[in-house]
Amino acid sequence: MNHVIIGNSAAGVTAAETLRMLDDQAQITIISDEKEHAYSRCLLPDFLSGERDSKSLRIRDLNFYSQNRINTELGQKVVSVDHEQHQVVLEDGRRLQYDKLLVASGASPFIPPIPGLQTEDAFGLRTIDDANRILEAAKSSRNAVIVGGGFIGLEAAYALRSRGLDVTVVEMAPQILALQFDEKSAGILADDIRQAGVNLITGAGVKEIEGPAFPGKLRSAGKKVILSSGDSLQADLLIMAAGTSANVALVRDTGIKINRGIMVDSRMRTSLPDIFAAGDVVETLDVVSGSIGLTPIWPNAVVQGRYAAHNMAGNDKKYSGMIGLKNAVEFRAVPAIAMGASRGTEEEGYEVLTLDQPAYQLYKKLILRDNRLQGMILVGDIKQAGVLGALIRNKTDVSAYKNCLLQPSFSYADILRHSA
Amino acid sequence: MKDCQSCSSATGCYSAHDSINEMYERTTDMGLRTIFDRHEDQQPQCGFGMTGVCCQLCSHGPCRVTAKASRGICGATADTIVARNLVRLASHGAAAYSHHLEEIAKTIKATAAGKTPFKIADEGKLREIAGVVGLDNTKPANELATELADVILSEMRKGSDEPLALVKLFAPATRLEAWEKLGVVPGGVLSEVRDAMTKSMTSINTDPVDLLLTSVRLSLATGYMGLIGTITLQDILLGTPQITKSEADLGIINTETVNIVAHGHVPLVATAVLQASQSEEMQELAKAAGATGIKVYGSMCTGQELMQRQETTAGGFAGQLGNWLIQEYIVATGAADLVMMDMNCSTPGLKTAADRFHTKLVSVDRVVRMEGVTDHIDYEPEKIAEQAKELITMAIEAFKHRGTDIVIPTHKSAAVGGFSVESILGALGGNLDPLLDAVKQGAIKGIVAVVGCTNTRNGHDSQGLTIMKELIKNDILVITAGCMSSAAQIDALMLPEAAEQAGAGLQAVCKALGVPPVLNFGSCVDIGRIGVAVTAIANALGVDPSQLPVAVSAPEYLEQKAVADGIFAVAFGLLTHLGPVPPVTGSPLVTKILTQDIESLTGGRVLVEEDPQKAAQAIIGHIEAKRRALGIEQPVLTR
Amino acid sequence: MKEILVDFEKCNGCLMCVQACAAEHSLSKTIPGALAEGTPARIFLQHVKGSPVPIVCRHCEEAPCVDSCMSGAMKKDPVTGIVTNEGNDQECAGCWMCIMSCPYGVIIQDHRGKTAKALKCDRCQGKEPPACVASCPNNALFFMEPEEFSEIRRRQEAKKILVVS
Repeated sequence: MNHVIIGNSAAGVTAAETLRMLDDQAQITIISDEKEHAYSRCLLPDFLSGERDSKSLRIRDLNFYSQNRINTELGQKVVSVDHEQHQVVLEDGRRLQYDKLLVASGASPFIPPIPGLQTEDAFGLRTIDDANRILEAAKSSRNAVIVGGGFIGLEAAYALRSRGLDVTVVEMAPQILALQFDEKSAGILADDIRQAGVNLITGAGVKEIEGPAFPGKLRSAGKKVILSSGDSLQADLLIMAAGTSANVALVRDTGIKINRGIMVDSRMRTSLPDIFAAGDVVETLDVVSGSIGLTPIWPNAVVQGRYAAHNMAGNDKKYSGMIGLKNAVEFRAVPAIAMGASRGTEEEGYEVLTLDQPAYQLYKKLILRDNRLQGMILVGDIKQAGVLGALIRNKTDVSAYKNCLLQPSFSYADILRHSA
Repeated sequence: MKDCQSCSSATGCYSAHDSINEMYERTTDMGLRTIFDRHEDQQPQCGFGMTGVCCQLCSHGPCRVTAKASRGICGATADTIVARNLVRLASHGAAAYSHHLEEIAKTIKATAAGKTPFKIADEGKLREIAGVVGLDNTKPANELATELADVILSEMRKGSDEPLALVKLFAPATRLEAWEKLGVVPGGVLSEVRDAMTKSMTSINTDPVDLLLTSVRLSLATGYMGLIGTITLQDILLGTPQITKSEADLGIINTETVNIVAHGHVPLVATAVLQASQSEEMQELAKAAGATGIKVYGSMCTGQELMQRQETTAGGFAGQLGNWLIQEYIVATGAADLVMMDMNCSTPGLKTAADRFHTKLVSVDRVVRMEGVTDHIDYEPEKIAEQAKELITMAIEAFKHRGTDIVIPTHKSAAVGGFSVESILGALGGNLDPLLDAVKQGAIKGIVAVVGCTNTRNGHDSQGLTIMKELIKNDILVITAGCMSSAAQIDALMLPEAAEQAGAGLQAVCKALGVPPVLNFGSCVDIGRIGVAVTAIANALGVDPSQLPVAVSAPEYLEQKAVADGIFAVAFGLLTHLGPVPPVTGSPLVTKILTQDIESLTGGRVLVEEDPQKAAQAIIGHIEAKRRALGIEQPVLTR
Repeated sequence: MKEILVDFEKCNGCLMCVQACAAEHSLSKTIPGALAEGTPARIFLQHVKGSPVPIVCRHCEEAPCVDSCMSGAMKKDPVTGIVTNEGNDQECAGCWMCIMSCPYGVIIQDHRGKTAKALKCDRCQGKEPPACVASCPNNALFFMEPEEFSEIRRRQEAKKILVVS
């Protein structure tokens, strides 16, 4: 069996090593347009800050490919897939044959069409390459503006601040982390990140970018970022962290079913035979919302990669969906976790339980419906996040211990004791 | 009151009282960890300690009796370890009560010599008791008082082989007989403590049964000296309690006055300060500082002592704040200027609260010391007049530094107190017959003393209040002493109106007499007063106390004085209910003796029941059985 | 594969397992030493209304912590079955995704080092029996194959019925 995997990150690497575990004889090839050994994009902010070098970004040992007998085509871009011929077409013209293909091509930073914005002006933070270019530009930058107050934007901001830059994050929503945290928790985290000296502007979008007066000549002049509020910011360095879009271009011509990502069934199969997909590029079931959509979270990509591998190897393993929205963050001193329908309100018909103890830097919020946990926000004390997360994932009826969930003593023991 | 047993509050409610739950929210908002937080932090607690099978006496330890090790390294069994630990607890209790008694005795002597601001308040009682102990009670009061105090002091100090005179004089004859048969008639209480500490040392007395009997000796010495001796001397010095009215709960705190908290069990300093605070000199000082006056509030037993003597030596008492568990919350109101800590129950947690406010903590007893508290005005009878002024001046100084962050819950209750054998006799017209008739006819099925500490194992005060309410609903008269008195006061059970919550029989009696269904006998030492009352009733009916339709419940007992009290009650022949499980269950032998076998020896036994409803039902059943045995059981009307 | 298994009824909350775990992972290797060093334990004595419940890492087959680790540090050893983020070439980034994913809540934040890291049971790096099991005075912890443990429990339950009848 000849397995070809497009993508060398969470889904691709997990799929490859799972395939090797399941089938000692199979031929396994990983293709990636990046040259690097498999590394963690999530750790790029640590690379930006200087805390890690490129070696310490790797997610597997150096001998990973040779040990698992995985062929690699690194630094090779896939331009199209000839699904009838079961071939992958590379940029250099070569065609690679496959019996089973896994598309794990991930996503790329979304650069919004802002008037005045040239592609070379702004950086995304998705690859080591992006990070290196940012670091190069940072050498001669005093101030940085980051568009987008989500996880990536804030992590990048924190990293650049620790390099001594003057950093401002611009977020269109009235709060940072608007997709997952509520006003209160976002406020606590905003205070925390402000303590590090990062400026945060919320409730404003970027209206326009103005280049330097003498085009391209005066590097020190930087760009002028004009906000919807009318204010403007100087930006020697401009980073776009306004979301990502799935890398579906390479399969668009195949007629494969695509929404915003590649559509897959519960066996990670696409609409085309022998083609599977996993990771940030696919749309799968979010068990909380019950709908199909993009769930670009590292753990989901890993699990999807593993399930895809099982099904590619002939095992019938059903992916029953995961929690689409879940993230953990700690900028300076305050850890925070949000999962599921974490922004649900009573007006929307949820039951909301809250614990608010600012003196102990604690804020916890549980979102329930019909005595089942659907979402949560934990700030300050995240110890039992996984226990609560499992309750969300399994849609467990928590009536027997609902009043224990926010108590300081809540733990898996409560579930054990009440499930007998 | 909250029903903590069935509560399902998401945020956790901790006390039976709204005021305390509100204050807990306040301290949480402040980031001040208090007793409820620390209780949670300690969970789960070690099962070896809880069952009493952990021995930490010698350097081979700590030894535990476990599934793998049935004996300590010296060979001690669980029975030995449990019984030995129990002796040590009872010793603490006996010793602490002795300290209290000694302070009173010394004060009487100094007062008789004219060296204190006190006077002998109940001369009648002085002569009565002096006569019983064999003194010439025609002598002048001061001389007689000195002699009586000396008798008590020498009783405390005499050998363990010289039986206590008070036991021989005051115990019912049938009790004395039972104790003599067991060989547990105690000698001098200090000698008994010495013997007990010696016996419970490593490898001296390892016989669990003998150790248990030692605990009984300690408890009897406690009962007749630390309890009955103390209340008798206190009545003589400060006045026998009279029925009086006051109020309770944090809502009584006044923001305009200098607020002094009398916090402890020994009422000497508190009485002197209360009296001195009403002098013109002190009032002027307070007003000069911007206050409208000075108030002395009670906390724990000292408060009960003051309240029940409002008519004699404690006039002007401002009311009872609550029991020991709430001390941090008193300070957290921000309106407590000075806390006078006498013996006992000033917790280290109190200091953590005081550190966040202007409140001054002062030790007023030489045995009371607390890390970080450098102000000591150790009580000396000859100096108390000056000491009282010094304390009030300190309070006024502290008042000047009061902050603006003041939060006082609005809840408060009126409360009737001051029930003693004397005041009850007064209310009944001179003798116990009306009460005894009510008991015989079944209007009052029986009497239960709900006494002792409070505890947060199952919700602060909630166990005690649940039991009290269940009992009075079943026509059982409840008398309280100790922290349980505060619980009932705050819950408005100590008002004649509370009779509405009683069964028809008890309700009728209460309305006829104008008394509450729950009678406040006062403080921890007033458990002795309960002993005196039970003795009087037993003698009046001509039966042994163990035959009476009475029982004792310590539903939230905490510390070692309570352990001594509880064993005293069992030795006295009474069913003694304990809410918290005492640390004896690791020894099947000790458990069986305390809960079963001892009944055939003393007529009393321990009933351990954590569920207050079940406890109440068991007590009611016990009382009904006693009534049947006495032949006074009436047909059951309603339950 | 052998696992740490718990007979909950036997646990009396004495905290020996917690102290022994800390000692095993301390420099001094003693309980008082671990206390002084502030070594955290990786086994947890939780409670339900004061009743003790020991919760241990199950070293899961498809460990959610391994799946969620975005640094590659958290791995399951194919030979020993131990799941740990220590001793690998990849370094934990303290991102707390594993804490977010563990359904038993047995991973904690360790702030002792230069950077914060996730800390969890490493089954005493293969030492048999693990420190917690060795230390339990109540026979509440076992280190054996789950099938063997089930057999023991079955026999215990059967004995109870026999005694009654």
